[in-house]
Amino acid sequence: MTAARQDATDEMLMVRYQRGDARAFAEIVERHSRFVYNFVLRTVRDPAAAEALSLEVFFRVVQDAAKFKHEASFCTWLYGIVQEVCTSFGRHPSGRAPDSVRARPPERPEMPHAGAPQADGPTSERPQGAPASSDVGRRTLEAIDALPDDLREVYLLRELSRLPFREIAELTGAAESTVKGRMRYALDRLQQALAGFEEYARALR
Amino acid sequence: MDCEKFDRVVLDLLYDELDVLTEAAALRHTEHCTRCRRISSELRATREVGSVPLLPPPDSLQARILDNERQANSGLSLGRRLGRWISITASYAMRPQLGMAALLLLMIGGSLLLLRTRPGERDPAQLSARGAAEPEVEAPRTPPLQSALPAASPPPAAPPAAEQGAIEKAPAAAASAPPADVAPESADELAGRPSFDAALEDFEARRYAAARSQFDRIAKLGGPDAALAALRGAEAWRWSNGCAAAAPRFDDVTARFGATHPSIAQHATWHAAECYRSLGQLDQARQRYQALLASGTYGRRAEGALASLSGSEAAASGQAGAKP
Repeated sequence: MTAARQDATDEMLMVRYQRGDARAFAEIVERHSRFVYNFVLRTVRDPAAAEALSLEVFFRVVQDAAKFKHEASFCTWLYGIVQEVCTSFGRHPSGRAPDSVRARPPERPEMPHAGAPQADGPTSERPQGAPASSDVGRRTLEAIDALPDDLREVYLLRELSRLPFREIAELTGAAESTVKGRMRYALDRLQQALAGFEEYARALR
Repeated sequence: MDCEKFDRVVLDLLYDELDVLTEAAALRHTEHCTRCRRISSELRATREVGSVPLLPPPDSLQARILDNERQANSGLSLGRRLGRWISITASYAMRPQLGMAALLLLMIGGSLLLLRTRPGERDPAQLSARGAAEPEVEAPRTPPLQSALPAASPPPAAPPAAEQGAIEKAPAAAASAPPADVAPESADELAGRPSFDAALEDFEARRYAAARSQFDRIAKLGGPDAALAALRGAEAWRWSNGCAAAAPRFDDVTARFGATHPSIAQHATWHAAECYRSLGQLDQARQRYQALLASGTYGRRAEGALASLSGSEAAASGQAGAKP
């Protein structure tokens, strides 16, 4: 990837892709696929579905590329697509992936936890001597997964997608004050979950 | 600021979505209010420690996304394929090196064509009574170019209060000592100079397009408010056009005012780092966080941000390393 493309903004890359530069799309995928995957994973809590839905998200980006207006924020547009895709998944009673996506056969729907080695399977205990940060990571994920849907959505959009509150309000259709209220509740719950950890006490100082 | 207002703005403070003045007021409030300081500290610690661990996506995800894209576009018509080829060629043509080479060739060619004339094609020069040649055509008078930005220079005679802790508008007394690096403004320029207060009012009313236009002009004209106006202009760009437009502007503020207004430059660096992070340009973000580690105001926040970046990546690589 050239240095010029690495310095280009997402909006510039989309404009180039609209004009036919497939490498611009590849750069967009490299930048955003990990965040999109994690956002979807935390939303649907099914790794196989998250993979399929992530494919669907970028397929929609390809299909709707001509509709993107370069004056808009690419991240807001992208996560609008992510929301629509996740919502569509929720409406399918079986939770199957859309036909437009070639997905792998579904795997076991257990959730991987940060710090827990996948090789041993999700039900094995954490090996002794693992760093404390893996406990914090696991507890963080548990706390996020335990959030009500509306709080988790705002939390992920702010923390993972790094959208400002104003754009989150536009995406969710809620007032900005409501969005901030949900964010505050989400942070309070997370704080309760992490209050006992040494890392948290250290960060307070 | 009181506790009630602090509660309303604490999240904006936590996520750097506050304007400079309100942020300064909120930070001053926490210096005197134990309750609000505790709330701010707890929220910040929660955010630092509880950053969302990023798990690695399946290895083939990117490849399959790109494969889907190729499949979707494989049935393009000849016209669209030609358009794509032209676009790719044009993207090469837009590279700076090619542009400079083309400009050089144009200059050389133009000079060969335009400067060389055959004898007798031009009227002879007319002589004045003093024997000096008069120009045949009077060159049009053009207004002075105002596009050049004032270079960084030694700080003007501004009082120290303008740089203490909170970033505030420089007091009016500073205007009595015009900075040496800015040429005296003409009457027209003075008459047309936007008001900082009017721009600020637009900013606070979320009329970001109007605000950024005024702030940009104030910054360009120079003066005691130029640094703060440049920062505010960049913030207005962020809220109106997003981080993609704002990040290079924050960098420009840092570059222009780093020597003369270090606290404003640090604020701009922080915002640039946050923008680059949101754009996914983590190396750019990391560089700017590292530049802030020695800062009194942002050092700790920069540490937390770097730890958050490293923690997310370490969790992801640790998870990947644990796979068979």
